[in-house]
Amino acid sequence: MAVAPKINVGDDYKEKYGFFDPEKFVFKAKRGLTDEIIQEISWMKGEPEWMTKLRLKSHAIFLKKKLPTWGADLSVIDFDNIFYFLKSTEKQGTTWDEVPEDIKRTFDKLGIPEAERKFLAGVSAQYESEVVYHSLHQKLTDQGVVFTDTDTALREHPDLFKEYFGTIIPPADNKFAALNTAVWSGGSFIYVPKGVHVDIPLQAYFRINAENMGQFERTLIICDEGSFVHYIEGCTAPIYTTDSLHSAVVEIIVKRNARCRYTTIQNWSTNVYNLVTKRAVVYADATMEWVDGNLGSQITMKYPSVYLMEPGAKGDVLSVAFAGKGQHQDAGGKMIHVAPNTTSTITSKSISKGGGRTSYRGHVKVYPGANHCKSFVKCDALLLDDESRSDTYPYNDVDAENVTLGHEATVSKVSDEQLFYLMSRGITLNEAETMIVNGFIEPFTKELPLEYAVELNRLIQLEMEGSVG
Amino acid sequence: MAFTKESVEEIASLHGEPDWLRTRRREAWEVYERIGLPDRSEEEWRRVDFKGLDLETFAAFEPANGAAPGLPIEGAAGVLRQRGSQPGQVELEEELRRKGVIFMPLSQAAKEHPELVRDRLFSEVKADRDKFAAAHAALFSGGTLLYVPDNVEIERPILGQYWSSGGGAAILPHTLIVAGRNARFNYLDEFLSPSLDEPAFTSGSAEIFVGEGAAVGYVSLQKWGRHAYQFANQRAHIAKDGSARIFNVTLGGRFAKVRCEANLQGHGASAELKGVYFASGDQFFDFHTLQDHQTGDTTSDLLFKGALEDTARVVYAGLIRIEKGAAHSDAYQANRNLVLSDHAKATSIPMLEIDNNDVRCTHGATVGPVDPMSLWYLESRGIPTATATRMIVQGFFGEVVDRIPFEQARHLVEEELEARLG
Repeated sequence: MAVAPKINVGDDYKEKYGFFDPEKFVFKAKRGLTDEIIQEISWMKGEPEWMTKLRLKSHAIFLKKKLPTWGADLSVIDFDNIFYFLKSTEKQGTTWDEVPEDIKRTFDKLGIPEAERKFLAGVSAQYESEVVYHSLHQKLTDQGVVFTDTDTALREHPDLFKEYFGTIIPPADNKFAALNTAVWSGGSFIYVPKGVHVDIPLQAYFRINAENMGQFERTLIICDEGSFVHYIEGCTAPIYTTDSLHSAVVEIIVKRNARCRYTTIQNWSTNVYNLVTKRAVVYADATMEWVDGNLGSQITMKYPSVYLMEPGAKGDVLSVAFAGKGQHQDAGGKMIHVAPNTTSTITSKSISKGGGRTSYRGHVKVYPGANHCKSFVKCDALLLDDESRSDTYPYNDVDAENVTLGHEATVSKVSDEQLFYLMSRGITLNEAETMIVNGFIEPFTKELPLEYAVELNRLIQLEMEGSVG
Repeated sequence: MAFTKESVEEIASLHGEPDWLRTRRREAWEVYERIGLPDRSEEEWRRVDFKGLDLETFAAFEPANGAAPGLPIEGAAGVLRQRGSQPGQVELEEELRRKGVIFMPLSQAAKEHPELVRDRLFSEVKADRDKFAAAHAALFSGGTLLYVPDNVEIERPILGQYWSSGGGAAILPHTLIVAGRNARFNYLDEFLSPSLDEPAFTSGSAEIFVGEGAAVGYVSLQKWGRHAYQFANQRAHIAKDGSARIFNVTLGGRFAKVRCEANLQGHGASAELKGVYFASGDQFFDFHTLQDHQTGDTTSDLLFKGALEDTARVVYAGLIRIEKGAAHSDAYQANRNLVLSDHAKATSIPMLEIDNNDVRCTHGATVGPVDPMSLWYLESRGIPTATATRMIVQGFFGEVVDRIPFEQARHLVEEELEARLG
């Protein structure tokens, strides 16, 4: 068990909400990726042979696949200069008291633990590449809910794990899915049994905290028939000087009549490449909701997708992106209508400022035979100054009868009338703009649990500070 | 005679073209030989299937053939009629001639008015855009120059009519329109090949230069026969306070890949891009539109509407681009697809790239069937389903057909749509 050194919070937290804890690792892998490193990772984790083989196979796919030619420029990523596995403490903390002090301090800065204790049942906090703290409310255990880190799930629920792992997003899906499957570590595993409603959000916090270290968590959520779960993934990360890669894979299965909501507030530091594959398959009369907020990172490419597999399935993506100086948020959503009588909506709100660039990229696809589907996509973009940029790339493919598909988008600046009105009430320009921006993303904020909404508003406020020049 | 370097030379000689144009054809031919067919990994070509198209099988030239399928629209101020690949015959009102209006086959214009043609030809529709554009620039045949001098207004429309009936050849007319300062006129290009029973490789490209304060209406009515593969690029270059109204009607061809672009270069420039299409049988249409706001205080308004029947497929991909300095720009883009059958397929990709914040940009796209509520309403008034459906489709097109810049073309398009609705 590591002992936390004394930290001068004021000096160390030099950036607005960036955090830095001294690096202190039990094991530090070498930079770059080879089959040997993968075997070592798998061996250290004591994994079954099929997983080792899958990792090696995925590595081969990763090497073969090309980087995407669209979206952000990813050619600067140096895959040989990344740590693919780190382990921060040898043993997992089981109670809050056992969690190292410096890690707690990082959480404190976000103002989360208090709310957490009041609100939340379990916390699976990922610090470095492995889960260090995990507690699960007795009630959930009694209900048969499994909420654990993905490594533990592989050991303790091998059958369930093997049945679903990699079935929604196979390694060959894309280069980064292959990379993740080769080197994944940590992430959350949730199984909600038939008919069980988990009435408190399950949360996990992710951090990147070592220079040049990639983080490859892997999340798998299975909602059995008629169940409900809300999972919240929130990220903040320390500021570093060299680029860092975050490449997660999230797979979700929502069975008949179940509902799953997955909320993300991504606030990586602005040197992180955030390249995430998220996908859910949804069966009859079930609902999947992605609530996806992207504030941080240098480059994000993330398009949560929903495969609507059986009649009555419903998909929802609510996406908010904020791009400041040097940032490019390439976010959106995908709705794949495989079955008839399925419905989907995508709502995207993006804000660019200080030379930042937001891109909405989405795909609505209706396969032959998926008749009587309805889909609606709405994208609004706000440009706060004339250095910034906003793009909209919606792909709409309809191959079935009686399908109603709509797409709308607007791009505008903060309206002069609104600013004038607020300023005539004695509100400063900066405050007025912040209020307008907060109002603009309100459809998103109101979907968040209270403490997250507060946190988001605070983050927007921090982002907006000094935005008026 | 397939596409060869010799055929390029032969076309240049046939039309007695000046050396500079011959050189330009040769350069385009080099591009054609150098670059391969578009790769389907490229975004623009991902959904385009030109399987079955073999450029090697087409003759580069089609002799004048067949009879005109119909008379030109009534009341035109000038008409150019081209049969096959040969330069067309021109009729133009004497008064317009006196005012300095120039209307003639492009090859003749290259000789007689190089100052109008030389710098403009293929400056907007570039030969190296893709292999098909290169083939067009190397082998274009006939085509038209219309020049309207400063301050000349032409009340009645001018018409270019191109037809082919043989098939098996490349029919590549090119329209070059030059509008002087404050000139005002309307122009209609009609592409016809009703009895085409073999595949043909066709275009219908146009470059439109709109001078300061000028107002140009351009309608392109494409009725190539059902075996034609059409690759066309229509692009307007619009100077300060100029306005272009471009109206694209795509009905024919087995395959049509059309780019329709407005290059807004001067302050106060405005562009209206409208399109109507009706795809049935196994037709495939692909439209790529661009509203390029290079400078500020510019406006553009785009509406492409179409109906799909049978197993037809339509791809619409449009981009509004607002460049960094283009403040106070206003752009609108909409694509509406009415899907009338179970097996038709529509893809709609309306895109925005906005680099300036002081703008207003909105776009929308819809794909859907005939609105059941509207249908129900009409049926409840005793109108049979078939008639009611037809009325709804007519109404759907009406919104955009009403925007055709001049009456003769409007009637013509209405008639065509009527015929298609059966």
